[in-house]
Amino acid sequence: MIRYVLKRIVLMIPTILITSLLIYWAMDLAGGDPVMTILPENATVEQQEALREEMGLNDPFLVRYLRYMGGLVTGDMGESYVTDRDVFLTFMERLPNTLLLGGSALIIACIIAIPLGIWTALNQNTWKDTGGMVFALFGVSMPNFWLGLMFILLFSIQWQLLPSGGTGGIEYLIMPAATVGLGLAALITRTTRSAMLDVVRQDYITTAKAKGAPRKRVIYYHAMKNAMIPIVTAVGMQFSLVMTGSALAETVFSWPGIGRLVFESIAARDIPMVTGSIILCCVLMSIINLAVDLLYAFCDPRIKAQYSNKG
Amino acid sequence: MSEMKTNTASAMTMEELKEFKGRSMAQETWRRLLKNKGAIVGMIFMILLVVIACAGDIIYDYETDVIGFSADLSQGPSLKHPFGTDQMGRDVFARVIYGARYSLIIGVGSVALGLVVGLILGSLAGFYGGFMDQLVMRANDILYAIPNIMLAVVIVQLIGTSVFSLVVALSISSATSFAKITRASVMTIQGQEYIESAYAMGLPTWKIILRHVIPNCLSPIIVQVTLAIGSNIISASSLSFLGVGVPTPMPEWGTMLSDARQYIRSAPWMCIFPGLAIMFTVLALNLLGDGLRDALDPKLKR
Amino acid sequence: MSEKTNEKKFTGENILEIKDLVVHYETDDGCVQAVNGLSFSIGRERTLGLVGETGAGKTTTALSILNLVPSPPGVIKSGSIVLDGEDVLQMSEKELEQMRGNDVAMIFQDPMTALNPVITVGEQIAESIMLHEHVSQKEAMERAKEMLKLVGIAESRAYEYPHQFSGGMKQRVVIAIALTCQPNLLIADEPTTALDVTIQAQVLDLMQDLIRRNHMSMLLITHDLGVVAEVCNDVAVMYAGRIVEIGSTDEVFNATAHPYTEGLFGSLPNLKDQGEELEPIRGMMPDPMHLPEGCAFAPRCPYATEACSASVPYLRPMGGTHFVACHAYDRENFRLRRNQNG
Repeated sequence: MIRYVLKRIVLMIPTILITSLLIYWAMDLAGGDPVMTILPENATVEQQEALREEMGLNDPFLVRYLRYMGGLVTGDMGESYVTDRDVFLTFMERLPNTLLLGGSALIIACIIAIPLGIWTALNQNTWKDTGGMVFALFGVSMPNFWLGLMFILLFSIQWQLLPSGGTGGIEYLIMPAATVGLGLAALITRTTRSAMLDVVRQDYITTAKAKGAPRKRVIYYHAMKNAMIPIVTAVGMQFSLVMTGSALAETVFSWPGIGRLVFESIAARDIPMVTGSIILCCVLMSIINLAVDLLYAFCDPRIKAQYSNKG
Repeated sequence: MSEMKTNTASAMTMEELKEFKGRSMAQETWRRLLKNKGAIVGMIFMILLVVIACAGDIIYDYETDVIGFSADLSQGPSLKHPFGTDQMGRDVFARVIYGARYSLIIGVGSVALGLVVGLILGSLAGFYGGFMDQLVMRANDILYAIPNIMLAVVIVQLIGTSVFSLVVALSISSATSFAKITRASVMTIQGQEYIESAYAMGLPTWKIILRHVIPNCLSPIIVQVTLAIGSNIISASSLSFLGVGVPTPMPEWGTMLSDARQYIRSAPWMCIFPGLAIMFTVLALNLLGDGLRDALDPKLKR
Repeated sequence: MSEKTNEKKFTGENILEIKDLVVHYETDDGCVQAVNGLSFSIGRERTLGLVGETGAGKTTTALSILNLVPSPPGVIKSGSIVLDGEDVLQMSEKELEQMRGNDVAMIFQDPMTALNPVITVGEQIAESIMLHEHVSQKEAMERAKEMLKLVGIAESRAYEYPHQFSGGMKQRVVIAIALTCQPNLLIADEPTTALDVTIQAQVLDLMQDLIRRNHMSMLLITHDLGVVAEVCNDVAVMYAGRIVEIGSTDEVFNATAHPYTEGLFGSLPNLKDQGEELEPIRGMMPDPMHLPEGCAFAPRCPYATEACSASVPYLRPMGGTHFVACHAYDRENFRLRRNQNG
């Protein structure tokens, strides 16, 4: 198992390399000439050329890329054109805020979605099921950021219960986390329901009932243990969405996370900041994906067995 | 006792049987779809939306009502302006109607592009296996590691903010899911004897793909197309909201919301209606998609 | 293990009596009449073979005995299922839970899907014990291991998961689960269909051995007449949700009375008579959503007359324990072709 984890980490490296190469290349093409951005407009051609040489911009693309990746390993990814602050440090400063937002959203989502999904599945084709499914359907159809705006309209402007943005105590976290969480909850509810419906039709559920297991045990032990596999898969697949949702919620609620960092940097055409943040986001995603894969093993002995065979 | 079944089946040639099955499948699906109230509501809404989006020019003039100015600044909903007006006196209703064009064009366009690319890559990966398969699957892995929104940002940065760049950006993530569906379908039918006999008859690969592979993965693809249009409409408006989608005077729903955000206290209707438009459009597509899934695969419903 | 049978409060002649059972599946597309007025009984320490084609309603019958017909869409419309003097259909949920696994146990057709893939096999056997007897987890696990040994699997494998076992091994585990609480009645739903031929015999032998040792009765559902001849005391032939012929194995095999049963024998290859051609039954099983009027077998029956489509035939005595549901016997001196020469 440990060998498998190590192997997976090693395998992650080429993915990260190719991903970052693509991003670096695209941003290099898109970024235009940074010298023009940095120097004042009245700078002479000689000054421009000198800065270019100093920044290593005249080197071939691959050389620049390798230098950049070397910097990534040591945590040196250049400085922002706008604020002159270190890219890596800025990202790491903002990261906890995004993790807090995404994490609490995910917890909210699971707390709502998993019981609701089971409940609707068990009451299939009744009004309870229909009600739960209508909720979930509205949830997946609603743009996340708009839900956030509606929250502000109701809770901050109309009833003046919660602050409309910024950071501070828990009251600042409630609305952004609920915004991201509800959108996710809708998706996870749908997955949980269909996973549950699929599992309760399986033969081993009949076996368990035929043994004389009470209904509750059949559902919460026999069925849940199996339904968790597709649910974990679904939650794992949603991390990209958690990140998207967080970026949107951060913008709506002025929450200082990495999503907002990226979009503010784009608006300011702060290329090193954008490139660095996106590449670091991808590294983060790869780590999360790996963690999710390992989590499957805990749910499914078949995958666990595969792991120990392979590695 | 299975002998008895083959006895009667042999009276009908395989070809006849397949045609018979195909025709009745489509009819059966249609019949089940019409039984689903949600799907009908979704279908009617989508038809209405397309009609209204096309008819927008008859009621409103793009230059004056949609991107122009007027003296009716920031007015609340009224008979004259059912959704109110914005900070520049433009009619929000007119803008929402025109916005439907953007959303539909981006949604349908990105899914269509993604579908074509996904079908081709998926079939190639499934059919040739080996290197081709590895290549496509690794590309998938890499895309999986980039959060969708970041990918879109990079592409939009690369080719500029426009409707076209949004379509390209969103089609990439759609393509991956279509490629996966097609690949899985190709893999399952490849071992089957009628494909081998088709090869033996000298049918070229692209014909086999057209005649056997695509019909086989049609049901999941139809469902996925419907749902992907909806989710791409949301993604497009999200990107516009973040300032990397359709640029500002254009009445895209997300762009409108991005503008409206600063007026949320004084003119909340500017925030409410474009969002409702997105929600109901995507809701209609989801209802239709769910209905199609139940109709195409009745096993799931029970 | 025989003590248990002795201490039973009710010692009627039959362990199970099913009367006029009707089970329908009500779906959006229509009503499937799976079981239509079915009656039979199983004597103590006897094995009844329930024979019929796929879709005849055999599995539905089996699930009805445990009151486990999937609902919705399944509905038990009417009838009674008396198990050891008590009607299963009148039991409370609690009584049902006590009965299932303890008094009646079931073995399923497909061992590949009958075991929970994420729970160790030992735990799955031990669960049965813990549900019905007040024992500690450790003790239950010990007994589970004994059960494994009894069905021929090493005790050490109790901690493995189902995917680590072969098909035949899985079916042994299923048998262990079913027999661990020493039920009085075992329902085996095509227990060997999904297995390799060589494994089939092993599993059948094992089941027969355990049933004899524990003085149990068995309802064996199968479409394999060879298995019936080898294992069963009695046979019931089922067609479109009804019993068409029932009797001792000897009676049904040697004095076949129903045209359908004759058809079943006719579709079997016979090693002794290699020159003879197989005579499959014409046509297919009727659509259970639209059963024909009268005798459901009439459209396929070589002996059918107009009277057959007019009313449903009832079981009539043929001597001994032998009963048949066929209108042809209204005619004097009617004999099936199979019986005419010998």
